[in-house]
Amino acid sequence: MRRLIVVVAVVAVLAGLFLYGLFRGPPNRDVPSNLIGKPAPQFTLPLYERFQPKYGASFSVDAHKGTPMVINFWASWCNPCFDEAPLLERYYRQYRDRGVLFVGVQTQDRGKYDAGRRFIDRFGYTFPVGMDNDSSIGVEYALFGVPETYFVDRSGTVVYKQVGPVTPAVMDKELEAILR
Amino acid sequence: MTRAATPAARRRPPLLLTALAAALLLAGAARAQPAAAPPATTQPATTQPAAGSDVEISDRAYAIARQLRCPVCTAESVADSNAEIAGEMRLLIQQQLDAGKSKEQIVSYFRQRYGDWILLDPPKTGLHLVVWLLPLLALLGGAAALVLLVRRWRTAAETTPDAPEEDLDRVRAALRAREDDA
Repeated sequence: MRRLIVVVAVVAVLAGLFLYGLFRGPPNRDVPSNLIGKPAPQFTLPLYERFQPKYGASFSVDAHKGTPMVINFWASWCNPCFDEAPLLERYYRQYRDRGVLFVGVQTQDRGKYDAGRRFIDRFGYTFPVGMDNDSSIGVEYALFGVPETYFVDRSGTVVYKQVGPVTPAVMDKELEAILR
Repeated sequence: MTRAATPAARRRPPLLLTALAAALLLAGAARAQPAAAPPATTQPATTQPAAGSDVEISDRAYAIARQLRCPVCTAESVADSNAEIAGEMRLLIQQQLDAGKSKEQIVSYFRQRYGDWILLDPPKTGLHLVVWLLPLLALLGGAAALVLLVRRWRTAAETTPDAPEEDLDRVRAALRAREDDA
């Protein structure tokens, strides 16, 4: 009798695990960023021609210390990047007078300069955008996919990372957070 | 006392099978876990051709790339993936080797940025040890159970159970009857 109880208990535990595996749904694929609460890694980004008169040949994070920043990583082949682009430009126009700087980093897109220019033209980006040709800036920011967007406050600390396209709710909340 | 040994041993197999099945399941589950948490990615399902993937890298760079997880893939190493970022990471590894960095320094470079997640094999420290030790413990437990059961079966097989007294009486009576007939 005791043995029967043991067998039933083991089978019940295994059946429980099996059912849990069946019904727990898709695994949580979010990987927390190591960068939250840490200083935004410095990078120097070669800019597209149209931004050079105003920002110089390249954009450096260190040169804009004290400025709240939104760093957006995108690629010319990424559909969600197309979806979020109008929203980014709209929010930049809304917040630039309050001292927030946006910067676009084209990454995982080696040599696709023409595609990058077409993207910028299409959405009329007025914030500086450049090419991370060897994706080293992407690795520096521990990028998983594109788009990803980092919100950096005045002290140069990364306060939030958005994986996937930004939404108005995220922009409203995080822009206010980095302006505090 | 030995009478009960044989039927008891015959009832063992289900327990043994259950123990082995549990050991195998645990071992499988523990081993599968580290690879089962890929990150969120918005990369399209059709993987982009890798710009850096057609560049030759050394065996050493390849060996390091095999330890690192491709950030935009599901359970695929930087060495094996065709994704663009994996190709760029292979190039980065090669560049760092060319710059004289050691394997440990390069792995640590990626680990500092992506965390332990980037390692295909979790480190053998802290909580990660569970992943490494559980399959081993399960195997050892299964082997110990097997040895114990085989030993019991053998003992049971070697021991001849005593016949019941009434059967012996019948045999004695039969023998006596034969002798009387003779």
